[in-house]
Amino acid sequence: MLIAGGGPVGLSLAALLGCQGVPCLVLEADASWCEGSRAICLSRRSQEILGWVGADGPLTAKGLSWVGGRSYFRGAEVLHFQMPTEPAERFAPMINIQQYYVEQFAHAAAVRSGAADIRWSARVRGVAQQSDGVLVDVATGDGRSHRVRADWLVACDGGRSTVREQLGLQLEGTQYEGRYVIVDIEQDTRRAVERLAWFDPPSNPGSTILMHRQPDNIWRIDYQISDREDPGEAVKPENVLPRVQAHLAMIGETAPWRPLWISIYNAKCLTLPTYRSGRVLFAGDAAHLVPIFGVRGLNSGLDDAGNLAWKLALVHKGHAADTLLDSYSCERVPAARENIAFGAKSTEFMAPPHRGFALMREAALRLALVEPGVRSLINPRQTTPVEYLNSPLNVPDLAGRFGAGARPGLPAPEASLRTSQGLQHLTALFGGRFTALYFSNRAHGPEYLQSAAAGPRSGAAAPHLIRIAGQGAAATGAVTDELGQAWRRYDAAEATLYLIRPDGYVMARWREADSSPAEIDRALDRALKDSPT
Amino acid sequence: MNDVDIESTYTALAECIGRVGEAKTALLLATLALDLLNQQPDADRALAHILQAERLANT
Repeated sequence: MLIAGGGPVGLSLAALLGCQGVPCLVLEADASWCEGSRAICLSRRSQEILGWVGADGPLTAKGLSWVGGRSYFRGAEVLHFQMPTEPAERFAPMINIQQYYVEQFAHAAAVRSGAADIRWSARVRGVAQQSDGVLVDVATGDGRSHRVRADWLVACDGGRSTVREQLGLQLEGTQYEGRYVIVDIEQDTRRAVERLAWFDPPSNPGSTILMHRQPDNIWRIDYQISDREDPGEAVKPENVLPRVQAHLAMIGETAPWRPLWISIYNAKCLTLPTYRSGRVLFAGDAAHLVPIFGVRGLNSGLDDAGNLAWKLALVHKGHAADTLLDSYSCERVPAARENIAFGAKSTEFMAPPHRGFALMREAALRLALVEPGVRSLINPRQTTPVEYLNSPLNVPDLAGRFGAGARPGLPAPEASLRTSQGLQHLTALFGGRFTALYFSNRAHGPEYLQSAAAGPRSGAAAPHLIRIAGQGAAATGAVTDELGQAWRRYDAAEATLYLIRPDGYVMARWREADSSPAEIDRALDRALKDSPT
Repeated sequence: MNDVDIESTYTALAECIGRVGEAKTALLLATLALDLLNQQPDADRALAHILQAERLANT
């Protein structure tokens, strides 16, 4: 398994594959982790995915968690939003952390797995497809060239992907003209961790400014420049620093500060039409570019890695036909299109593409002062977990068997459960294998379920059986739904069975599993052998 | 209207303004405003909206 690109997506994919015992080689053109903080907001879903490789501990210890934000028009607050959150949940809806830390923690997890080999200063030069593999030409830092053969190549080599270019593939979509300057500064602050936005602030009339706190006393400041400004001039410190100083003074951040990193950005809504080309797969920015507003860039790249890793591992180990990999593209291309649609909506507000949107924004910001009903227009539409409702892997529900809740194709709901190790989150059990959640108050589940978990499948292809006993029921060999969350959120009755994919998505469910013993096997066969597309 | 409705309405009007162009934007918005004001239950409430819009426009 060869991974082109050792950024956050490539390193996370290496860690995910490594933890499944799949040997992989990562080639990264740069000499080390990235410079500048780059992507800084990690969603709850991303924290879960990095949790599968044990990187969630350092991530949440270092990151700054947040649950909401405020937007201001001139001096007045026009929006205070909160993301869905509840007490004692596993992860905050969002944490802020510099990308180089994410890369560092993913790298450490990859190395810890013992199966990943990461080479810095190794640049992919050429890619040639074969029927059963890929030949890749690599230039290393010592000036030498190498040819590497791999069964599969995953391109995680970013927006300017060499692999994509080598295969002659084009991103499709649109770009927006409006430009934002991105500045990181170091400054002591005690301000609460929130997403902060100012429209037309007195410090920078006519501009839009975003601020996020990061660990190590670093502020991320983004501000829009006018269409008349030259992008090259706009990033010069003599043009950046006075604007930053004016804004810090306006909001009362008076401690001494220094700039660390300056960059410029315009919103792009681009994707490849498919993420599989023969023996090559695309993930992260190599596959799609989405606007930064709503923080869907790195988060969607990690979602790609989480979707792809288990499929690659099953194919690599011979448990699944390689057509399983087509489902990666079937699921993640629509996910990218959804991310792009949300990102485009946010961009239309944050960087209005024409006079119509600019005028409407002026109206919405004013009306928001007095009319709560329009405040949602200002909401940044932060990333939420994508649904794979049309996935070919889903086993359709029998009509009327379930009420609301966790349909096939939705992320499996979280629940707090009593285990022998104390209270545990259900999602902490996902990430490696298929999971069969069997809801029952009887101490002995049906025999076929025990045998489905024991074989004839092996390793990752065999479901891990978890019996969830209801409140107050016999818990021998089971976990207990002490708070009643699991039975309620899964709309469970006695003998309800859910089959959860390794990446924590519901694949199939049965109201009374006892009466249909072969169906879990059929669902797995369908995914692994037939691999419907 | 829910959040999705107000958002799609916002986008539709923004694109409409883009289509008619700058010279006709004021006429478009005046026509739209008169149509919506006509749906108010009485003149007092219509006038309240007019005065609020004037105040916000001068913000």
